[in-house]
Amino acid sequence: MSTVESIPAIGPTEIEAFSEKGGVFWYSDSSLNVREVARAMNAVGARFITATTYELPANGGFRLEYHWDLTGRLLGFNFPLTGSTIDSIYDLCEAADWIEREVHEEYRIDFTGREYEPLLLRKGNVCGVNLQKEVVQ
Amino acid sequence: MSYEIPMGPYHPGLEEPYKLNMICEGETVKDAKLHIGFNFRGIEHLAETRNYIQVIALMERVCGLCSFIHTLTLCQAMEKLTGLTPPPRAQYIRVVVGELERLHSHVLWAGIAAKLMGFKTMFMTCFEIREKVMDVLQAISGNRVNYAMNRVGGVNRDIEDPLSILGMIEALEKEMTRTIIPIFTTSKTATSRCAGIGVLATEKAKSLGVVGPVARASGVGQDLRKDAPYAAYAEMDFTVPVVPDGDVRARLLVRALEIMESCKILRQALTTMPAGEIAPPGDGSKFSFITGTATARVEAPRGEVMYSVSWKENARTPSRVHVRTPTYVNMPSVRFMVQGARLADTPLIQASVDPCYSCTDR
Repeated sequence: MSTVESIPAIGPTEIEAFSEKGGVFWYSDSSLNVREVARAMNAVGARFITATTYELPANGGFRLEYHWDLTGRLLGFNFPLTGSTIDSIYDLCEAADWIEREVHEEYRIDFTGREYEPLLLRKGNVCGVNLQKEVVQ
Repeated sequence: MSYEIPMGPYHPGLEEPYKLNMICEGETVKDAKLHIGFNFRGIEHLAETRNYIQVIALMERVCGLCSFIHTLTLCQAMEKLTGLTPPPRAQYIRVVVGELERLHSHVLWAGIAAKLMGFKTMFMTCFEIREKVMDVLQAISGNRVNYAMNRVGGVNRDIEDPLSILGMIEALEKEMTRTIIPIFTTSKTATSRCAGIGVLATEKAKSLGVVGPVARASGVGQDLRKDAPYAAYAEMDFTVPVVPDGDVRARLLVRALEIMESCKILRQALTTMPAGEIAPPGDGSKFSFITGTATARVEAPRGEVMYSVSWKENARTPSRVHVRTPTYVNMPSVRFMVQGARLADTPLIQASVDPCYSCTDR
């Protein structure tokens, strides 16, 4: 069984597969794909909460943390971005719509496989000017 | 023939700016698109320029109604990064102020809902009750909006005579059971405006990930005070009201029942509040952060608030503060609530979510 296949088996006794840190149960596996995680979370009935973007120092790119709630437990999945693109999970999880649009707008990260509506928080067409420290126009 | 009706950003029912473009056929709404961001303030970015004391004051201003909840969530996250645990009395005070905030938020919402129904007498009754709750908050903190109660590792002010608050709670419960709940549940005005209106089915509520009273009024029984207790909630005996109908009436009913449960929690917290310190002993302002990220969640009046805080050791300011507010996830559901509704019902449907654009445009 692959690590991804093991995610649907999360239960009170299987939580050992996750390591608790800073209030979050983290599942560390660098081979995970965000869409596979979203499918696994859907399968166990977890609720999508949000995705948090971190800009890495020295132009090191970005890191995205995705959070789901499973019966009160906060589950976290880490996705370092080598470039500035990551698969969208909007078609699997409609709760991710606004946060994907917001992250796209604030950090110029592209969520592939979805269409964008006009910017969520600002007017205009320029992305990446709210939180990204070094904006490349 | 369909036509588009824009509602907002100057809204007929609510004082905060957002815009709902509704595609209508006759009087029936077929679809809607929501636009936010009219007052985007970039608070997350500002937080990266504030130290650990200033950032609390800043985050208190994310929301004017649940300002305490925002600092509580932030402080709980920062406590994970400093290793500080608030003393038991501070945990109880956090429960008391959190529930008082829930009371005044829910009663305010009930008043606004009554006004939108055309029930202005009820609006005045609700605001009279809310004023009593605000008086208690002012007596505890000295403030009516931003209470400045939370600090890393505890609270800033003690409640010197907890039992003196019981009188207000009894008066509130009496008014709720005598007037507000019976009128909202039995009067023809309320029923005809609310029953079967703006329905959000259970499956859709789960799919959209809605939180708080909106979720609980659609049959999704989630509440962090029960599911992941914080502060002193694990020691409180209360139930989480859940109504499966998903309409405006269900959202009204859930909030009314939550007011009663809040009174129950307050009575327990005030009568069993342990003696002792309210902050770490010694010079509580001296502590150090460990490098890392911590996350905290709290059940605000409108639902789950989540803060992720990232700090580097010896840094004066956080490297990242991310805020996920309840309205941010609840508001997209309005699109589905108004589909098939009469245009005249849409202000009330929008209000039934209890939206907060101060939070959303953080």
